Amino acid sequence: MAKPVGIVLVSHSRQLADGLRDLLLQVSGAGEDEAAVAAAGGTVDGGLGTSDARIRTAIRAADRGSGVVVLTDLGSAVLTARAVLADDTRDDVRLVDAPFVEGAVAATVLASTGADLDAVCDAAREARHVAKL
Amino acid sequence: MSQNSDTNTVHTEVCLPAHLHARPAGRLVQVAAGYAAAVDIEFGDKSASARSILALLALGATAGETVVVRAIGADADNAVSAVVDVLATTE
Repeated sequence: MAKPVGIVLVSHSRQLADGLRDLLLQVSGAGEDEAAVAAAGGTVDGGLGTSDARIRTAIRAADRGSGVVVLTDLGSAVLTARAVLADDTRDDVRLVDAPFVEGAVAATVLASTGADLDAVCDAAREARHVAKL
Repeated sequence: MSQNSDTNTVHTEVCLPAHLHARPAGRLVQVAAGYAAAVDIEFGDKSASARSILALLALGATAGETVVVRAIGADADNAVSAVVDVLATTE
């Protein structure tokens, strides 16, 4: 099977991004080592905020060669992720507009089936339109 | 299980031993992806593609309820069997 598309979780909060990653590993049944999911939450010193350095590190950690989807919580997480991607010449690292938790769950599960980058991006985007109740 | 040889549509019912929660729904997506057939899970008047974990969760199917697994495609028989196996062994 193709290597999974990577997922990067950008949040203001380290706990939020790390906790979401834990959830994704359980839902996708992936082990700690095999999961192509990386969290980039909080600032370098552990405070609330976003860090371009942490996002770059997470992209490298999640990249298995099949592309990377970057998901953000809100506000400056979007701006920082955009700035990082603007500096990146690759076209297979994509910032996707999606609800953070639902988009990440949908994207990660589909990525675990070997789906390609376009399909994984679509799954994250479509999460906005799936009613929860 | 019933089969229509023209379109190779297969469906069967399964009674859920546990709620269709996130982990089994994720497993269902992974298993269904191994088949060419399009698989849907129906519960009441709702239907969810086995490609969408969020749609599966939104079915709100709980323990003791019966869902219908429906597949269309050349390997629909095997797809339904595999998905039913996931649902029937949900914990």
